[in-house]
Formats: sequence, structure tokens, C-alpha cells
Amino acid sequence: MITLRYLLRRIFYMAITLFAAITLNFLLPRLVPGNPALLILLTKYRGIINPSQLKLIESELNLRGTMWQQYVGYLSSLVHGNLGVSYYYYPQTVSSIILEHLPWTLFLLGTATLVSVIIGVFIGSYSGWKRGLSDTVLQGFSVSLTAVPYFWLGLIFQLAFAVIITINGYHIFPVAHAYGISVTPGPNLPFFLSVMRHAALPLITLIITTFPGFALLMRNTVITVLDEDYVLLARAKGLQLNTIRKNYVNKNAILPVATSVALAFAGIVGGAFLVEEVFSYPGIGFTLYNAVTTSDYPLIEGIFLIITFTIVIANFLVDILYAYLDPRVILK
Amino acid sequence: MTNSTHINDVRKIIASGGSMTRFRSFLKQLMRNWKGRTGALILLSLVLLAIFGYLFAPYNPVSSNAPSFQPPTHSHLLGTDYIGEDIFSWFLVGAGTSLLVGASIAVIAITIGVAVGVIAGYFGGYIDNGLMRVVDVLLVIPGFPLLVILSAFLPPTLETTIIVLGILSWPFISRVIRSQTLTLRRRPYIMASELSGLSGLRIIVRDIIPNLIPLIFINAIFLAIGGVVAQAGLAFFGLGDLRSVNWGTMLYWFQAEDGIVYNAWWWLIPPGIGIILLGVGANFLSNAVYEITQPARGSK
Repeated sequence: MITLRYLLRRIFYMAITLFAAITLNFLLPRLVPGNPALLILLTKYRGIINPSQLKLIESELNLRGTMWQQYVGYLSSLVHGNLGVSYYYYPQTVSSIILEHLPWTLFLLGTATLVSVIIGVFIGSYSGWKRGLSDTVLQGFSVSLTAVPYFWLGLIFQLAFAVIITINGYHIFPVAHAYGISVTPGPNLPFFLSVMRHAALPLITLIITTFPGFALLMRNTVITVLDEDYVLLARAKGLQLNTIRKNYVNKNAILPVATSVALAFAGIVGGAFLVEEVFSYPGIGFTLYNAVTTSDYPLIEGIFLIITFTIVIANFLVDILYAYLDPRVILK
Repeated sequence: MTNSTHINDVRKIIASGGSMTRFRSFLKQLMRNWKGRTGALILLSLVLLAIFGYLFAPYNPVSSNAPSFQPPTHSHLLGTDYIGEDIFSWFLVGAGTSLLVGASIAVIAITIGVAVGVIAGYFGGYIDNGLMRVVDVLLVIPGFPLLVILSAFLPPTLETTIIVLGILSWPFISRVIRSQTLTLRRRPYIMASELSGLSGLRIIVRDIIPNLIPLIFINAIFLAIGGVVAQAGLAFFGLGDLRSVNWGTMLYWFQAEDGIVYNAWWWLIPPGIGIILLGVGANFLSNAVYEITQPARGSK
């Protein structure tokens, strides 16, 4: 159950968070010394600086007028969905670049998260139910994995399966990129297979480092649920163990795992960005990495804003969804 | 005056021993637990490596004196990198920088986190509400993109990385400290101090923080290791001072200079193993702390 008061308060804090992100985004580039418009002219056109051209670029980058005017201008362009123009890919807009690369990241993140949750729920449920050896193995495994940096594991996999190990002179997986150069993007089988082969190593890296967290959480909630009175009652009235496990324990234990997905997502995004860099995977993370190396500030800012908005809003929606799915939860 | 000293005496008896004695007995218990011993041993060896390792570096890590991409040999125990620098020396010197970065981040984050947590938990009311809302906002913003944007705009130095990571790492610990302060507040000896008319600040410094030391200690270790990993991640992303010799920049140059193409596993493995050992040591230690502080649940 959700009270209106709770809903309004949450929306208020969400608005403050987003506003803080936007303001940070506005202030940061203006604290950096140097004129970005001049930088574009120098790097892109390498010649005589034409004052009218400078003015044009300045107004395009929203750098004219007082700070306050710039801020209002910045906000109004954001409302219109305008994230500015990239320095490096000038005159391409930031939103068009993000839209071009976002699907690859969503594909990686979505698949990795989904598979990790499924594996985690299965292993966690088994381990919480059986305890003993499987429990020890799971805990040892997840403890040693929490210490492994995502990107280092990615590099190890890349070195092992795309460079060192060969079968009949062929590598098992490609070193980098999202699909081979010989296939044409579109709804055809060779393209699909190529995409899958290229996504395999990044996905395996992300899944191996992500699922133990979900498995441990599932295990712990299963153990808590097993102590509940209704499980005792189910046992007492002689229900089959499988029925108890499926309908009484797992169903109730899955809810906390579901909410943790949204929180874990923020962490997985960071991991996915680094993994994309390892495999030159053309998603938002690799784009951000390129933007960092080319000092493409508008692109860095645009990506930060999009990711922040997505995660903050997703968190909010999951909280609401949780209260809706579990009638015991009262948010007020 | 006599009355207040009397209450002070009672307070001391209830608190049983000074804060250092309590911390020492906590350490003793930690050493009696095998997980605690293992964790402490791993972390201590890494700290010693970080402090004295550079003395054993056979070469200057940033001078090339051998062919590039050479696999391990007698003169270069871990081989050489893309311009013939000795990787074993990089690893030893890098350990010092990486752990120093981690420790500095932990110091900043612990200072802010403990201050915010104790103040929020002790004073409660509007102060608590205000501070915890700030924490909520900070916890929701995705960490890595925020780190990237801050590091991209600020000057690329190791100091920037330390300050940015330190300032972004405190919210979680402040929550832990706050909830612990809330329970401490209700203890009889704290109430006795309050009745004796001691100021809030004095109670915080003399009674509350000393009792939080085990908690602060274990969190500091985790913050330091989180700091090492985060710095490595940022460096790998091309942010911060890439000329600095540390485990993160080792991995950055491995990637940037096509270590993969040259199959230079000897360059990739050492920094990763270093970071993993840090994490494994900390996990052993935290499991031991968990067993000590919650004996009933830990032994299950």
C-alpha cells in the first residue's frame, strides 16, 4: 500500500536529485578554464578564427550571456531534449550519438542482469534449502569473486579465449567489437550469429561477477522464510516438500531479490562501462571512454545525465512496484 | 562538582575500561579466530609490500632498459612492458601508490562519514532528517558515471582522484555509524553522562566514538580496498594521472598499448592478483568480525 503523502515525498526527493545532477552538469564545464567554442574552432577548422563563426558556436553551446541566462537557456534546451553538440563529432548532436549507441548497452545490461538474476535465484534457492556443501561452495565462490575487478576478469577472458586458445587455428571468440565486418546489420541470421559471438565474452564477464550477489541474497531470504510460521504450518499439514519449496518459500523469497535488482543496476552499469571498454563494444560506456580520451565534454555530460535519469527513475518505479506486488509493504 | 565526579566514576565502571583496552580486547578476539588471523596476515603482508616493496625494485620502473614485450626471465622476473620497462619494479612501486591512494580515500571517507553519522544519530530530529536526505540523494546517483564526469573536468592528478573518491565514498558508512550511534545513545552510561551535564560534543568524543572504533576499523579497511579498486577502474578508463606508477595505470597501459595483441599475460596478471588478494584478506577479516560481534548467528 502506498499513501499519497509517501508518493509526493518520493517525487519531491527524486526531483531534487535530478535537479542536483543537472546543476552539477551545468556548473562543471564552466569551472574549467578555457573557451570550448575556441577549442572547437581550433581543433576542427585549424585556421583563421572568424569572429562571427565563434559567436555562432558560442550560442550553439549556450555560452553567451550572464551565468543566469546561460542556466535558464540550458534548462530550456534540456526540456526540449537538446543535450548540446559534440565537440569531437561536431556538428553531430549528443542525443543522436547516445541514441545510436544506447541499444548495445541496453542489450548487454539487460541480458546480463536477467541471466544473473535467474542463475542467482536458482543457485540461492538450492543453497538456502539444502545448506551443507553447496552453501559453503557458494559462499567461498562469491566471496572470492567480490574482490575481482570486472574489467580485469574481462581482460583475462579476452586473453584466454580470443588470443591464446585456438581450435583448428580459429579463436573461440572474437577480440572486440559488436559484430564482424563481413555481415550486414539487419534481420538476417549471419548478423544475429555474429552479434551473439561478439557479445559472449562481455556477457560472461558481467554475469560471472553479478550473479553471486543475487545468489547470496536469495539464499539468505530463503533461510529467513524457512523460519516463518506459515512454512511450519505447511509442513505440519503434510504438504509435499516440492510444493512448499515452490509455492511457499521461493515465491516469498524472490521479492527482496527483485527489489535489489534496481539497486544493483547502478553498480552493474559501472561494470558494463569498463567491460565495454575492454572489448571495444560500441555501447554508451565505450562512447564515454572515447569522449574522455578526446575531451568531448558535452558528450560526457549527456551520457552522465541520461544514465542518472534512467537509474533514479528506475529506482523510484521499482519501489512503487514493490509495494504493489507485496501487500505487506506499507509505504507512508 | 562532587556529584558529577561521582557519576563519572559510575560511568567508568559501567563502561569497564578505557577505549584502548576495549579495542585491544577486540583485536585479541580477532586474532583468536582463524579467519581473523588469515585476513590480518594477508593484509599485513600487502601493507609491508606497499611500504618497503620499492626498496627491492631491481630497476627504475619508468626507465626502459630491455627489449619491449619480453616474457619473464632471470633479469626481469615479470618480463617487460611495451617500452621495455621492468614489470616487477612497476608492481612493487605500484603497490605503494595504490595502497596509499586507498588509505587516503579511507581517511577522508571515514572522517566525513563518522562525523555525519554520529551527529545525525546523536542529535536526531531535524539534523538527522536533513543529513539522511542528503545521504539518500547521494546514494541514488550512479557512482561510476558521477566519478567519470568529476574526474574528467577536474585536473588529472592523483590528489584529485583521492579527493573525489573520498568525498563520494562516505554516504554508506555514515548510515552504518548512525544506526550504531542510535543504539549507543540508549545505553545507561551515555545517559549517565548526559545527566551529569556533559556537553553533547564531549559525549560524542569521549563516549560514543571510542565505542565505534571496531566498526570504524573494519569499515576503513573496506573503504581503502574499495578505493584501490575504484582508482584502478578510473585509471583504466583513462582518468586521473596516467603517468603515476600504480596497479590501475598498469592495467590502463596494458590495454592502451595492446598488451592483448602481444599476449603479454605477465603484464596483466600481477596487478589483478594484488587487488584480488586485498579483497580476499578483507573478506576473511570481516567474516571474523561478524562471528565475534554476532556469535549466535555466525556459528550457524
